[in-house]
Amino acid sequence: MPWRDAWRLSDRCYPEISYQAIYAVRQGNLPSSVPSSELVARARRRVQQSKLLVSFVLAILNAGAFAAMGSLAQANFGAGLPLGLYQVGVVAGLLILEVALLWWTALQVLPTYLASNVVPFLETLPIPRPVVDRAAFLLLLRLVDAPAITCLVLTPVVVGVAFGSPLAGLAVLPGVFASIVAALSFALLTARFFVRRVQGAGGGHGQTALRWTYLVLWAIPAFAMYGSLAIAPKFFGTLAGLLAGGPRPLLDLLLSAYPFPLAFLPLELSRTAPPTGLVGGDILAITAAAVAYFLATGWTAQWLIRAPRLLAVSTSSQSAPGVLRSAGLTSRGIVSAVLRRDLRTASRTPGFAFLILLPLLDAFAIGIWTVLANPSNSDAFNIAAGAVSTAALLATFFGPAFFAIEVLGYSYNRTLPIPERSLLLGKVSLVALIYFLSAGVVLALTLVRVFDPLTFLGFVLAEAPAIIAASFFELGLLFRYARKKGLPIVNLYSGAWWATAVAIPALLVAGAPLVLFELLRASSIPLAIGAMGGLALIELGACLPVAWWAEGRGSV
Amino acid sequence: MSGASLSEDGALPLEVAGLAVAYGERTAVRQLSFHVASGEIYGLLGSNGAGKTSTIRSVVGLVKPSSGSIRIFGIDPHVDGLRAKEKVGYVPESPLLFDALTPREFLEFVSSVRRLASEEATARTLTYARAFQVERELDTPMATLSHGTRQKMLLTAAFLHQPPLLVLDEPLNNLDPRSVSIMRELLGRYVKTGRRGVLFSTHTMEVAERLCHRVGILDQGELKGEGTLGGLRAQVDQGDASLEQIFLRLTSEEEAVREAVRSLGTG
Repeated sequence: MPWRDAWRLSDRCYPEISYQAIYAVRQGNLPSSVPSSELVARARRRVQQSKLLVSFVLAILNAGAFAAMGSLAQANFGAGLPLGLYQVGVVAGLLILEVALLWWTALQVLPTYLASNVVPFLETLPIPRPVVDRAAFLLLLRLVDAPAITCLVLTPVVVGVAFGSPLAGLAVLPGVFASIVAALSFALLTARFFVRRVQGAGGGHGQTALRWTYLVLWAIPAFAMYGSLAIAPKFFGTLAGLLAGGPRPLLDLLLSAYPFPLAFLPLELSRTAPPTGLVGGDILAITAAAVAYFLATGWTAQWLIRAPRLLAVSTSSQSAPGVLRSAGLTSRGIVSAVLRRDLRTASRTPGFAFLILLPLLDAFAIGIWTVLANPSNSDAFNIAAGAVSTAALLATFFGPAFFAIEVLGYSYNRTLPIPERSLLLGKVSLVALIYFLSAGVVLALTLVRVFDPLTFLGFVLAEAPAIIAASFFELGLLFRYARKKGLPIVNLYSGAWWATAVAIPALLVAGAPLVLFELLRASSIPLAIGAMGGLALIELGACLPVAWWAEGRGSV
Repeated sequence: MSGASLSEDGALPLEVAGLAVAYGERTAVRQLSFHVASGEIYGLLGSNGAGKTSTIRSVVGLVKPSSGSIRIFGIDPHVDGLRAKEKVGYVPESPLLFDALTPREFLEFVSSVRRLASEEATARTLTYARAFQVERELDTPMATLSHGTRQKMLLTAAFLHQPPLLVLDEPLNNLDPRSVSIMRELLGRYVKTGRRGVLFSTHTMEVAERLCHRVGILDQGELKGEGTLGGLRAQVDQGDASLEQIFLRLTSEEEAVREAVRSLGTG
């Protein structure tokens, strides 16, 4: 009974992975004095909450797809395309988004899965290899079970209702299954790459640049939703053009691309299917592609059962070759050392890297759009102001999360003579750096279209004290709470709830000058910027004491 | 053997008096008192769970004592933590470090926090890295290093600022014989220079016997005996006893060990 034994094993091992994911004891965090049974239960709840959060995003995507399948949406996105083909396009888009989100989620959890060392430990026990294979596979599956189940349940419902046929809903299941298999496979393949090339990368400027480049590529799937929405009208326009004027083989090739053929199945099985405009030859090509994808999915599913164990074993025994650089050590001030260490840690930890990259990529995306769309001067300023505001709010919102870096090497870190204010300043510097980099990107790209550097720079600088004030405020609140409760501050991060709770008032601090600017801009932009800067400075004066005179990281 | 000589500012490298450490309802250390004098390597001996790590964690400020006092050169680490930490080099029991950094990046961070000049930090790092033969691993991510190599990096970090008090929790655990030999020699020389002391925990009797000037024997959180090897032999009234025999006698484990061996039969 290999599957039953594997399930029992995964049942035993899953709490350990949850525990390590939340409390990071293997990464140097001190175990809490709370009974371990309670900690394990709490860790499982927190992991469950994280999975539900991803499931919620998937549910929103499904709801969005349902709304997009209506004829009103078709008029905006897919005008000129028969309704049937348009709906198939939407289903294919939904399947792609599900692949992207599941892939990204699995990639997020895989480092924890690997760092827990559960699978290499199972290897040392006298358990048949097929059972370990399956236990490792089930463990991975359990880390993404709620999101996968959400796709398997909601997508058939959405498609069934949209096509008005339960059979059509069931017919999308193979497509969803293929998406899950594809997502997990991509995650395993890319995880190996990331563990070796990002987490396992050595030091030096060249390696650092390479790591951040990989991380940018890694963050791109998170922008798939933006991309899908932005590209959709163009893509549907191309399909309509090919359908009307050919060449037909190119149309067939496009419709045979993954996951189009799988998205056709519901339409084929729906009795009230709307027209697609396709002919027999097209259908034949699509059917052949669908068969090929089914075969590939079957083969991949077989591979997938063994792959998690192989990955866990290969990454646990890897050791990067030592390459000695001639450069010596460079000592810096403590604040700079904290900032540098956090950036280096983030560059090998995708979760933290994403918090830095999201505002930056967002700034790039909006900046490039401004360059390409060639808006009027006033619109360009609005867009730039919007982009800077987004960067400001994102940097503020993510600020408290960077304190979680302190979990890594936590015990050791606390034996070093780091003044708490230096630690605080290091974190505030990181938030400010993200803001200035993002704003700099927006400025540089917007100036290509509208050359008004003083106004833009004035806007960015006027908001800066508010960002610093918000960071001091949120981190100061965390310090105070930790001290009051007698907790090491990193223990507040075990569910990210506290980080979120303090980020909300901080967002108000960061957002108030932006609101004031909006209120005053109609009278005069220089006046609005001046007032904005004045308010931001007042906020800084008010918030600084919250952090500066709040003692410590709490007692142990 | 060195006595309780005073350091430059008139205080001992380490004084622990009436220390108690409790985790919830479980008491790990009770009424523990000892000191480390200048020029002395003091070994804290005990079985697993005897309270050695809890004591050391209290000394370096990681665990708050339930009662008692700790003074590092007269400074209470739980009152003036920064000043106390400046005087201490610490090696934890488990080499859990910043997995996302390379040793060079980690040592750069430590040397910055210790306010060392770049040249000084580089020279000391290379000296220790060469001695421990881990030069080639300096730019390899910590996550991929063996426990022994991580331990060597931690030892390098502990020696980096040449602290007057070294607090080492089972420092030889993961080391190869060559490095153990170097460490023994190094620690012996280290305490002879300046006014330095070493607090050293281990459960390996042979290491303690060869390395420590004085030892304290901990059992279930209590100090069962303390002194030089000669003093302890006198305490158990056995002139040629090894430290292992002294340990078993003081912790009343001799009979328990015999019983355990009997129960195992031929294995």
